[in-house]
Amino acid sequence: MKRYAYINDDGPSQDLYRDNRISNTKYTVLNFLPKNLWEQFSRFMNQYFLLIACLQLWPLITPVNPASTWANEREVWVVENGIKKLIQAQDIRVGNIVWLRENDEVPCDLVLMGTSDAQGLCCVETSALDGETDLKTRVVPPVCMGMDPVLLQKIKGVIECPSPDRDIRRFDGNLRLFPPFIDNDVCPLTIKNTLLQSCYLRNTEWACGVAIYTGNETKLGMSRGVPEPKLTAVDAMIDKLTGAIFIFQVVVVMVLGVAGNVWKDTEARKQWYVKYPDEGPWYELLVIPLRFELLCSIMIPISIKVSLDLVKSLYAKFIDWDEKMIDRETVTPAHATNTAISEDLGQVEYILTDKTGTLTENKMIFRRCCISGVIYGNESGDALKDTELLSAIETGSPDVIRFLTIMAIGNTVIPVKSKNGAILYKAQSPDEDALVQAAAKLQMIFVDRSANILEIWFNGRTIHYKVLETLEFTSDRKRMSVVVKENDTEKIFLLTKGADEAILPCAYAGQQTRTFTEAVEQYSQLGLRTLCFAWRELMPDEYHEWSLVFKEANSTLVDREWRIAEACQRIEHDFEILGVSAIEDHLQDGVPETIETLRKAGINFWMLTGDKQNTAVQIALSCNFISPEPKGQLLMIDGKTEDEVCRSLERVLLTMRITTSEPKDVAFVIDGWALEIALKHYKKAFTDLAILSRTAICCRVTPSQKAQLVQILKSCDYRTLAIGDGGNDVRMIQQADIGVGISGREGLQAARAADYSIGKFRFLTRLILVHGRYSYNRTAFLSQYSFYKSLLLCFIQIFFSFVSGVSGTSLFNSVSLMAYNVFYTSIPVLVSVLDKDLSEETVMQHPQILFYCQAGRLLNPTTFAGWFGRSLFHAVVVFMISLNAYTYEKSEMEELSMVALSGCIWLQAFVVTMETNSFTILQHVAIWGNLVAFYALNFAFSAVPSSGMYTIMFRLCGQPSYWFTIFLTVAAGMGPIFALKYFRYTYRPSKLNVLQQAERMGGPILSLGTIESHPGTIEREVSPLSISQSKSRSPVYEPLLLDSPNTRRSFGAGGTFEFFQSQMRLSSLYSRNCKDN
Amino acid sequence: MAERGGTSSAGGPAAAPGIDAREPTKKPKYSRFSQQELPAFKPILTPGWVITAFVTIGVVFVPIGVGSLFASQQVVEILDRYDLDCVPSSFSENPVNYIQDSNTNKTCTRSLVVPKQMKAPVYVYYQLTNFYQNHRRYVKSRADAQLRSKSSEGETTTCAPEAVTGDNQPIVPCGLIAWSLFNDTYKFSVDNKAIDVNKKDISWKSDREHKFGSDVYPKNFQSGSLIGGGKLNESVPLSEQEDLIVWMRTAALPTFRKLYGRIEVDLEANQRITVLIENNYNTYNFEGKKSLVLSTATWIGGKNDFLGAAYLTIGGLSLFLAICFILVYLVKPRPLGDPSYLSWNKSPADQTDG
Repeated sequence: MKRYAYINDDGPSQDLYRDNRISNTKYTVLNFLPKNLWEQFSRFMNQYFLLIACLQLWPLITPVNPASTWANEREVWVVENGIKKLIQAQDIRVGNIVWLRENDEVPCDLVLMGTSDAQGLCCVETSALDGETDLKTRVVPPVCMGMDPVLLQKIKGVIECPSPDRDIRRFDGNLRLFPPFIDNDVCPLTIKNTLLQSCYLRNTEWACGVAIYTGNETKLGMSRGVPEPKLTAVDAMIDKLTGAIFIFQVVVVMVLGVAGNVWKDTEARKQWYVKYPDEGPWYELLVIPLRFELLCSIMIPISIKVSLDLVKSLYAKFIDWDEKMIDRETVTPAHATNTAISEDLGQVEYILTDKTGTLTENKMIFRRCCISGVIYGNESGDALKDTELLSAIETGSPDVIRFLTIMAIGNTVIPVKSKNGAILYKAQSPDEDALVQAAAKLQMIFVDRSANILEIWFNGRTIHYKVLETLEFTSDRKRMSVVVKENDTEKIFLLTKGADEAILPCAYAGQQTRTFTEAVEQYSQLGLRTLCFAWRELMPDEYHEWSLVFKEANSTLVDREWRIAEACQRIEHDFEILGVSAIEDHLQDGVPETIETLRKAGINFWMLTGDKQNTAVQIALSCNFISPEPKGQLLMIDGKTEDEVCRSLERVLLTMRITTSEPKDVAFVIDGWALEIALKHYKKAFTDLAILSRTAICCRVTPSQKAQLVQILKSCDYRTLAIGDGGNDVRMIQQADIGVGISGREGLQAARAADYSIGKFRFLTRLILVHGRYSYNRTAFLSQYSFYKSLLLCFIQIFFSFVSGVSGTSLFNSVSLMAYNVFYTSIPVLVSVLDKDLSEETVMQHPQILFYCQAGRLLNPTTFAGWFGRSLFHAVVVFMISLNAYTYEKSEMEELSMVALSGCIWLQAFVVTMETNSFTILQHVAIWGNLVAFYALNFAFSAVPSSGMYTIMFRLCGQPSYWFTIFLTVAAGMGPIFALKYFRYTYRPSKLNVLQQAERMGGPILSLGTIESHPGTIEREVSPLSISQSKSRSPVYEPLLLDSPNTRRSFGAGGTFEFFQSQMRLSSLYSRNCKDN
Repeated sequence: MAERGGTSSAGGPAAAPGIDAREPTKKPKYSRFSQQELPAFKPILTPGWVITAFVTIGVVFVPIGVGSLFASQQVVEILDRYDLDCVPSSFSENPVNYIQDSNTNKTCTRSLVVPKQMKAPVYVYYQLTNFYQNHRRYVKSRADAQLRSKSSEGETTTCAPEAVTGDNQPIVPCGLIAWSLFNDTYKFSVDNKAIDVNKKDISWKSDREHKFGSDVYPKNFQSGSLIGGGKLNESVPLSEQEDLIVWMRTAALPTFRKLYGRIEVDLEANQRITVLIENNYNTYNFEGKKSLVLSTATWIGGKNDFLGAAYLTIGGLSLFLAICFILVYLVKPRPLGDPSYLSWNKSPADQTDG
């Protein structure tokens, strides 16, 4: 641009250009920020941190979002103003009608309006949303059913929907179409009528729907929310130590700053050659302290962050790669979703485990049943083979047929005909699957569900039922019902199945429920899952009246769930109880051994389950969770009112306190109701109890209670690990320090939410004892070593400042300082990720050694003080030796600096060597290769004429005194440490050392250990109960006690078996409850 | 594991094949690295090992120590502190005035006796104490680029406060280090016969060739009101100003020696050497000592007993430790990996004192 200078013009042109002020200060007020930032960020470290910070600020890439950016440009068919056109997915507005074809991805949350299917059904795959791969059916709301596609384009109406939330299982909306389409009737909408973002349309030619939530307000978008970052105990400790070092640094800086200023005022003024000005700027006093601050800033190693991130991701990779944690059955490898918390695995103190699907396989098999007082399947252990039952079916006993009907159709199972004619069942709950399959084997075959017509074959007859309503299962109601109309007889039935306490109290007046109660009792003693079956015939009037109420409840927006429950209550009464079914769930392979090993490792187990108390206790016994009498003792906390709970809580607490001194396994059992009261009113007492007890069984707990329990343990500063497999464990898993999900049959929900996912419960041993323990050990070493090496250099700098007039001169040049942290010292220590102090086998045999990790023995202020002392000692050694060896005519800055630096590097190599327990080839390469690389790098620097170090390294390496100095440094620095370590190792060995010695010399312990961990021994210890001894070896759950109540009583009469006494008390209490209701 | 009741109509569990199909190839590839199973050498500290190590250190270090001490003892060194004696008695109360006054007579004569024969070359050093060449302000006050080439003559920013003259002309060589150049001179004679001091090649060859330019001539040097140390001949390029080059290799410690020159004749025992000192340099301000050092050298360098003594100490201590360990091992043998130290069955509290 041309410049015009207007001569002698006082006009406005004067202001056109800047005035003639010259700025020669480095910063002006205006450019300080940008210029300084520019300078700061020319440093690599800062760039790294900036990069990381930016990445974390960028919401698009932090949490993994399946519907990421590319989805925005995708083109979809949308109806706008009655015309179908292709637009970009990001331009979809709420209210648009979106058309999808088969295998299309749903671009936003839609309410289904029409499909190619005549019955208004369509299938979606929701795996991107909840990880479940089975197809789910979605249905068009009744008002739009059967509407012509052309008509659909012109449809007008309004959909009332709640504000966006993250609940992917719930949607309570209303649809009202405007005339002329349909009348003004309000049509309720549920999640069944929606297509959610990122699902795929399958097996359906086309579907269309109205956009209700778009963009980040979709269910998926809302649930993406950033979970609370988890900080490991190790990280917290490192933070604490960093804080301590920072305080130390500030003190050092202040002391040196004051000393520097004093020296300057007294001595430096006399040193004429330094030419201190008489009058300095006002901030003169600050200059020296700030210089020292910069000099000491290496005290806190920035590299630690980078190194830790690196090794942590490697720990996670080791978990992913581990061949021994692959579930052979389903070929599911273990996976670490959270790469940052592996060390915590080694410090777990409490494991909170779900029961179903976690300890058990969640493979349900129908085993026994009790129909109208007759118990089937007791002799053979399998009701399907019980001839009595078979003959009862043959003869057509009405109760039995009724029972089988509920088994077959009282559910939400979808039968799918496979190509070869066999019928496959798609069930959302494994219990229903088991029931339907069992019914099929008992001649009641559920064949087809088309729309709301159910078809079953019974003894060659085809029966059709029409489903009028489905009263779905919720964890509050604990039962589900269907209202069906038998097509032949036009009779309406209410068929219900559910938990005993939800069904039995609703029996019609006069029915004897005692036999059922006893059956339930008996089955749960065997560890079987029970369901009660009941039915009632509805009069058409009653049904119609009720269906209006139900419909209204279904279409409310506020508290819909509660309103529905209330409506259900109105019809679910006066049942005729038909019977009880008992379903068996296998224990997973190796569960007892896993629990035994981990308990030996000092980990406390809590079982949180939605199951019944007796079932839970039995399962707990069978998997070594609790020990039977006299070694173990079970304490019950129960009660229905505040007072009762309080009293029982206090009693248990007292017993706990007394027995803590005895070597006894005391466990408490609490049910959901008492827990609710305890958590609400006696949180303090309950927390005390939680601290005291190593084992607890909580039954009938809800997902939020599970999370609360985790919270309580966390608040007592325990490291908690929650393990579960189902959607109801997700909250607990997210709440715990470490969440482990089992990728099991209940979908992948838990595994997705978890930090680690494993295929089977037994892999937990390896995850904790091998991966957790090694990770902790390695991080403990790596972090302390990082501080050690930074402190070492920093101490030398500080010492040097005492001989350089406390002026803040750096002994080392900037290249060395940078390379020291980035190359020389970080590479050897990185291979410590391969270090193993003990072999995996030894750890498995002596899980007690985990105690060292749990108690944080390898990384705590004491060990850190050791490393601090070591760095001080080494700094003195390096400084004194190089200073004295290079005195007088040899005392040249650059040379001395390199001598000291080489001394440090050599010491580092030996320190790492000494702290390494097992040397693989990689360790050798890294440690000794690094030393070689140090010289190579410095030779390279020394070959550049313009560098300050020019020729220095060549000169030094030619001098014998250099090498003598180095060897002297190594010997003086390592000798005492080596001697001390040897002395401790041999004469004051820790358990760790003893095991190391035993392992590597094949000493006596190893053989002893083998005997100790022999499975037979465990069983002998654990199960004095003669019956259980032979059975508990088998992974399949088998009854511990004989079936008849008499046997049980004889045990109870046996005297001190308190556990069973309390069970008796429980059963009496239970029947009382039933009466109360 | 119990057989899942599989019969006619109902197929297998719906979920299991689903999982199978989902991740068929997610199985990780086996490698010894990924399984953390690389073959490893796992040493343990057995007494044999440790004692051998210490004995070896002792055996190696003691001879080296003896050798170094011997070499150091071979060095003949004459050290003569002259800063106080070279101040006339009339100024002894106020040596600073003496040294700063340009009119006083600065020459001073010292005589040294050679204690033992000194083989050529005999190195002549000057030694300063309490002189902080490593002071941050001082160390930084130089401009390497300016010393190297004429074209960078103006690059004096790093040289403050000795960067430019009063009228903004760049000083060559600039900076406090050059400004404070040591300028005492020594002349040696034996029996009134002058001994030549060779001042060639006293600096590092690499410095002469690469750090100090042959086309850079001193300019505006010591022209200010405050004169620091020595002056430079403006017609000699910096690469040949060896005293300056030596001086500019800053010392790391406040006590240091710098090479003044070499005497290339042998000095016989009991010879009396007369040194004529031009005592110009001001160390009186800060009570720094000035000494003249004549010294021979061996393979280990100048006289320095430290390495030898340290090697002997470390070697001796190692042997001592080795003997201690052997004694303890014999008196109180202790099997490694003794099971009695593993008492898992005790309560965790007992485990803490491991």
